Amino acid sequence: MAPTLPSGDQASDQDNWDNGRLARKRQLLTEIVLRNRLTALVVDGDTTCRVLEQLLLRSYGVQTQGVDNGRDAVALIASGVKFNLIIIDMILPVLNGLEATRQIRDMGVHCKMLGVTACSGESERQAFLAAGVDVFIEKPLDPEHLVPILRELDGQ
Amino acid sequence: MLGSGPDRLRADVNRLLAFLFHQGILDEQFLQLQQLQDESSPNFVSQVVNIYFQESEKLLRNLRSLLMERKLSDYKNIGIHINQLMGSSSSIGAKRVRNVCVAFRAASDQNNRTGCLRVLEVLEHDYCFLKNKLHELFQIEQQRILAGGVGYPMQN
Repeated sequence: MAPTLPSGDQASDQDNWDNGRLARKRQLLTEIVLRNRLTALVVDGDTTCRVLEQLLLRSYGVQTQGVDNGRDAVALIASGVKFNLIIIDMILPVLNGLEATRQIRDMGVHCKMLGVTACSGESERQAFLAAGVDVFIEKPLDPEHLVPILRELDGQ
Repeated sequence: MLGSGPDRLRADVNRLLAFLFHQGILDEQFLQLQQLQDESSPNFVSQVVNIYFQESEKLLRNLRSLLMERKLSDYKNIGIHINQLMGSSSSIGAKRVRNVCVAFRAASDQNNRTGCLRVLEVLEHDYCFLKNKLHELFQIEQQRILAGGVGYPMQN
């Protein structure tokens, strides 16, 4: 539900922002405390998305690395760096997200992989899951999807 | 009666945000952005949004350039650009821009050049409107901080 137009009354404008959704978002951003040090790789060709996804993860205490294309993601994993979680966009430069996911899984990597995309349809979902991601969501990455995954990885 | 400078400016910020939400320009994802801002990164929101502006303007220029090609055939590349703009727009809560991208993608999927050009005009207009309003928001917020108000996230 969109906020109502301001009434001109200062207190009610403030109420619009402090009630409901804002409080819930704040709660989701602070409600999880990780017991273990988790690491995540963010693979997204878009700078805005990559920065935000890494920031969101770091707000939960997750250590992150970011790369902007599929080839670098595969190379990083092949070099032996391990992550608890890989968040990977479907459409990537150089090597797309589907192929990068397949190659990462072919290396025997079993960590949690979360596939993200800007525009999801059933065919995209099926293709990404078939390539090897465990979870598929439409952007933006938000706490409601991320928190349960982090809890699971943390053994909570 | 309105209070001191910071209080009046805070009301102005809330009023502008309410307007942007009510008009469907922004959605709740923008609130999440605000929640990621804290004392250690007081200008986080404006910094991320400025990244979004820089990247978006490149994408829009490229899209216009691609659509103006005499023999347009690279709809796949157009689709990739649209996808990227859609993802970044949804990540910062730029709801209207994101929704126009959906229409753009539909035209591009049909290889409809006229349709694409028409939607691109709408997109450029809506993007400019968003940019102007967010600049206005950040200006007021900056004035509020200078006047002695507390920065994001706004506390009771």
